[in-house]
Amino acid sequence: MGRGLFRILCAPCHGIGAKGGRGPDLTSGVYAAGSTDRDLFRVIANGVAGTEMPGYAARFGEDNIWRLIAYLRSVTVRQDPPPSGDKAAGEALFWGKGGCGACHRVGQRGSPAGPDLSRIGRKRSLAYLRQSLVDPNADLTAGFYKITARPPGAAAVTGVQRGYDNFSCQLMTMSGQFYSFPRDEKTTCDREFTSIMPSYRNLAEGELNNLLVYLLSLRGE
Amino acid sequence: MKALFLLSLAAVAPAQVPDADWLSYGNNLAAWRYSPAGAINVSNVKRLQVEWVFQTGIAGKNETTPLVRGNLMYVTAPENAAWALDLATGRPVWSYTKPIPAGINVCCGNVNRGFAISGDTLFKTNVEATLVALDAATGTVKWETSIADPRKGYSATVAPIVAKDKVIVGIAGAEFGTRGFIDAYDAKTGRRVWRFWTVPAPGEFGGETWPADSKAYEQGGGSTWVTGTYDPELNLIYWGTGNPGPDMNGDVRPGDNLFTCSLVALDADTGRRRWHFQYTPHDVHDWDATEDPVLVDVTRGGRKVKAVIMANRNGFYYALDRTTGELLAAKAYTKVDWAKGIDAKGRPILIPGKDPTEEGNVACPGGGGGHNWHPSAYSPKTGLYYFPTTDGCHVYWRTGQQYVEGQWYQASTFSGATTNPTGAIVAVDPSTGETRWRFPLVSPPSSGLVATAGGLVFSGDPQGYFFALDAATGKALWKRQLGGVVISGPISWARGGRQFVTVSAGQAIYTFALPAE
Repeated sequence: MGRGLFRILCAPCHGIGAKGGRGPDLTSGVYAAGSTDRDLFRVIANGVAGTEMPGYAARFGEDNIWRLIAYLRSVTVRQDPPPSGDKAAGEALFWGKGGCGACHRVGQRGSPAGPDLSRIGRKRSLAYLRQSLVDPNADLTAGFYKITARPPGAAAVTGVQRGYDNFSCQLMTMSGQFYSFPRDEKTTCDREFTSIMPSYRNLAEGELNNLLVYLLSLRGE
Repeated sequence: MKALFLLSLAAVAPAQVPDADWLSYGNNLAAWRYSPAGAINVSNVKRLQVEWVFQTGIAGKNETTPLVRGNLMYVTAPENAAWALDLATGRPVWSYTKPIPAGINVCCGNVNRGFAISGDTLFKTNVEATLVALDAATGTVKWETSIADPRKGYSATVAPIVAKDKVIVGIAGAEFGTRGFIDAYDAKTGRRVWRFWTVPAPGEFGGETWPADSKAYEQGGGSTWVTGTYDPELNLIYWGTGNPGPDMNGDVRPGDNLFTCSLVALDADTGRRRWHFQYTPHDVHDWDATEDPVLVDVTRGGRKVKAVIMANRNGFYYALDRTTGELLAAKAYTKVDWAKGIDAKGRPILIPGKDPTEEGNVACPGGGGGHNWHPSAYSPKTGLYYFPTTDGCHVYWRTGQQYVEGQWYQASTFSGATTNPTGAIVAVDPSTGETRWRFPLVSPPSSGLVATAGGLVFSGDPQGYFFALDAATGKALWKRQLGGVVISGPISWARGGRQFVTVSAGQAIYTFALPAE
């Protein structure tokens, strides 16, 4: 019953298995507006101001909202216990030898090239973040694709997509340099649906855990 | 004042650019979307520049096709808003707005696709399923009539057309379990003259294509949300119909489900069906036949045939004999994996195993189809038919759902299979459906087209570009970034010896022209 309601009303944004689409992934058990049953009820009933999430209280009764919550709980991936790690060491790794700040922003620090991580601890589960560090192409954030431009008489430039349309492309390199090119007979812009982020699979397990503890602590507070 | 304006322009007008209006949704009642103005051409289009901009201040998708007559442009917008604009400057002359009542359910935004005009009266639909007549000079309401009850899930977004003394409109709401129709209203009084139900009741012609002893037909869908066409010689209205309800779940509606996903030809005086052609019998992929039914002459075995053509959402281009409804040609214009082709009688030759399932099943085209509602264009100069298409697929899911009046009733959904679908603007030979050229788009299209006597096709894209293609080759000749999604059908018109091109982008109406001499 909850599943049927979800498919009709929620799936258009949150995906057929609640794994996300235009709206966030709902299977992580971590929700931006709070994770208790009470929080979920409030969000489904009233919506979230400033987002595309509408309120459903007027459209169907309390019973149906509880059915949806029961369905969401049934598809939530079991949360791994938080790793034991050192947040301060993870933060040092992020801004230091990890080089994460060259592409990512946390608060007012870092680069706008890649996805903003200021609230990533609210948005993504531990398992998701671990997979993203080890295999950045596992689930690409929409729009952050790899662009390679080949202007005439100059070296090719590769970076993260800032724009890609029928007549131009824009990209930002790992060093934070912004480029804009026309797409015409002289200049080609190739788009690959991959990430320019390197894999961090070679980090020591302890270092990876430190980084994950730091990322999970980023809640925009 | 009007006379003075025209006189002053006439004084500087070179004789070779006669005035050209834009008088209905498709410019002519055959929906060619062709402007006979040819001052802007393949050689000089690169000098096109902004003449004026009007900011509507209304958020949402601006799907309007403006009308041009006299010294005014008539523009509608989402949220029941509309204006008359000064053709010379874009400044508003009068405005119309009507608050939308609370609790109106609309599938795809509180949009509007434009006015119809006849004599001194403008006609437009309002979202809450009404038809309103405005005085063209002042914007004053002459009459407003209810088309259907919005609490049942009905809404209206379509631009009407005028056939003789009648205003013809369609309805939206098939996602809410409604029963579709096409209506004619007396242009003077707003009184309804006839109604054609696009889903027949038991016992009526076509009623046997719905389950017997069932109320399924009452939720049978068949919306009519895209403007039709009119052939005054045959006195026939041609109108496309939308998906059956519930949308992608056919379990409760075994049968062909006439007249959904069809073209109907109706007597303009009585609304009686002359013929029908169903593109997608028993549709389960949301492939509405709500694309422009364009009236052109095609060549068949060396002779000219009066035809009605459509690039249907199901992935096939069709040419029909518009006198009889017989199939003349059908050809796929995008990737199609649900049918091997179209048989001689016009019925798709199905490939089994393409229906939506509980587990999800891929089919191509996707849920929005190939060519969706975006206005197409026909150029008598090149003899080609132009339309935008999405090239992609979707996963289609079926589920169970009880019907509740006025509520979303789809019992199904779709989601992305091709993560990054692309698009194209396609030029086909209307007689055969053979593709002549394709202008590739990086994403599905958002905008309609206009063709001009200058050998150009204008269109826009979701990333905010408005551009001109060579109508003969598809080569891009000019572009401008407008900073907002281009959704509407562009138009072209001429005044005072100059040609103009008008299009909406984001919340603004842009008009372009070559620099004044």
